[in-house]
Amino acid sequence: MNTDSLDTSRLMRNQFKLRFAKCELIDLTPSSVSSDLEFRNWILRQPEGKTLRRCYQCGRCTGACPIAEIDQSFNPRLFLEKVILADESLAENQLIWTCLTCEQCEVRCPEHVKIPQILILAKVRGLVAGNTPQTALDRARTILSEGRTIQVSDPMLKTRDKMGLPSLGSPPVKQLAEALKDLGLVEKLENIESIYGGDRDE
Amino acid sequence: MSKAIEYTYFPGCMIPFRLPHFELTMREVLRRLNIELIADEGHTCCPEPTTFTGVDYEAWLTVGARNIAVSESTGRDTMALCSGCFHTLSMVRYTLQSDNETRERLNKRLKRIGMIATGEVAVKNILHVLHEDVGLERIRKSIVQPLKNLSIAAHYGCHLVRPIEATHMDDAEDPMWMEDLIEVTGAKPVDYPDKMACCGAPISPSDESKSFVLAGEKLLKIRDAGADAIVLVCPTCYTQMEMQQKKAIEHLDPEFSLPILYLGEMMALAMGMSDLVVENARRYHRVKIQPLLEKMGVGK
Ligand code: SF4
Ligand code: SF4
Repeated sequence: MNTDSLDTSRLMRNQFKLRFAKCELIDLTPSSVSSDLEFRNWILRQPEGKTLRRCYQCGRCTGACPIAEIDQSFNPRLFLEKVILADESLAENQLIWTCLTCEQCEVRCPEHVKIPQILILAKVRGLVAGNTPQTALDRARTILSEGRTIQVSDPMLKTRDKMGLPSLGSPPVKQLAEALKDLGLVEKLENIESIYGGDRDE
Repeated sequence: MSKAIEYTYFPGCMIPFRLPHFELTMREVLRRLNIELIADEGHTCCPEPTTFTGVDYEAWLTVGARNIAVSESTGRDTMALCSGCFHTLSMVRYTLQSDNETRERLNKRLKRIGMIATGEVAVKNILHVLHEDVGLERIRKSIVQPLKNLSIAAHYGCHLVRPIEATHMDDAEDPMWMEDLIEVTGAKPVDYPDKMACCGAPISPSDESKSFVLAGEKLLKIRDAGADAIVLVCPTCYTQMEMQQKKAIEHLDPEFSLPILYLGEMMALAMGMSDLVVENARRYHRVKIQPLLEKMGVGK
């Protein structure tokens, strides 16, 4: 599977521009990018995304990344380039979910680009394409319905009791739903199918 | 004794229900240091920072801000035992403090449920409380059974430490607070390569095999450095290192055994509360800790 191939001339042109646009991100002409321009513009307005303007594609993030070390197709520098180029293949790229959010890249980045945060926003973008592991969807549903990532069982409560640990009550899930209602997350979660399937074997 | 210092306890999901021996041992350790943890029933899941963020980042911020608002209403500093919870709460707090636009947007949602979050009240992890608030000297005085024969490696895990501007830890690449605590208990801290390397747990939902490789590498490096055990804070790292070690034993090395201790267990042992640890050892440890206890002359 090679989702990383880009039109080379476009790439060279844009890399050239990027190198010389460290502080001020140049506006790529709409004809040079695919349709995810809106996402890219949105990311560049976010507090974390703004840091992407400082990226000069040095690749130190990739050099520091433990996942890149064991899988060469995982390349944070290239992911950032795709965000900047508004390359739509990123939203469907399952590799973004193998980012650990360990922040090793960010620690080593000379420009302190918020790389893991930007990849998180790319994951959010991928939800529409179903690019979300089943476990992540299930967990999100449980958080909304239970106020916790797990279903609390009677034996669990009994164990706490026996250990003399205080009761924690039941989370105020109605209040949670009220606070979140404008985001439409419940509806989204009802309709999304994960492209990962039940279990993924490689 | 003077009145106990109180913290609002942020429980999260994993520790209170799946690994309650974490809470049990740490509460007792803190009690010896005259600290009480007060739970508030208004808290929900933090929400966890490794998958919920990638489903809906804005919802993550909102639920996190609601938890901060609950915490702030208690008037006490909040302490989260779990690194995931601590990471979420400190990130959201940092956002509330540093980004006016987002703070206003989040508070518009909270206003619907009669709440407000400012980001002004501190969110701490257990290392802040032990190392910074209590201090090593006071802890040293409460050690009655020094762990003299043991060499222990600290695993911090990513989310406890990074990003440093939100976590207020000592260092992003070479934190030392846990080593200081190991030393205070009388054990020998073990240095090993790539100390801040991730345990691999966050990607087990998307790529189990990579997750295993990372945990395996970490365990090997720690064993080769000569550690008798690993001490850690995070329930997710704990589960990962124990489960993957079982797998490593099957696949790589049947002799492999590197006990994983929760920080509260290590401190409870050194404070003379080994019963608390021994009682729960079988139920909550997949990797046997008995050899470790024997080496320090505790248990059977
Ligand atoms: S290390 Fe920083 S500046 Fe260099 S490519 Fe990565 S994000 Fe860009
Ligand atoms: S946060 Fe993600 S991209 Fe960055 S070093 Fe860790 S795994 Fe690699």
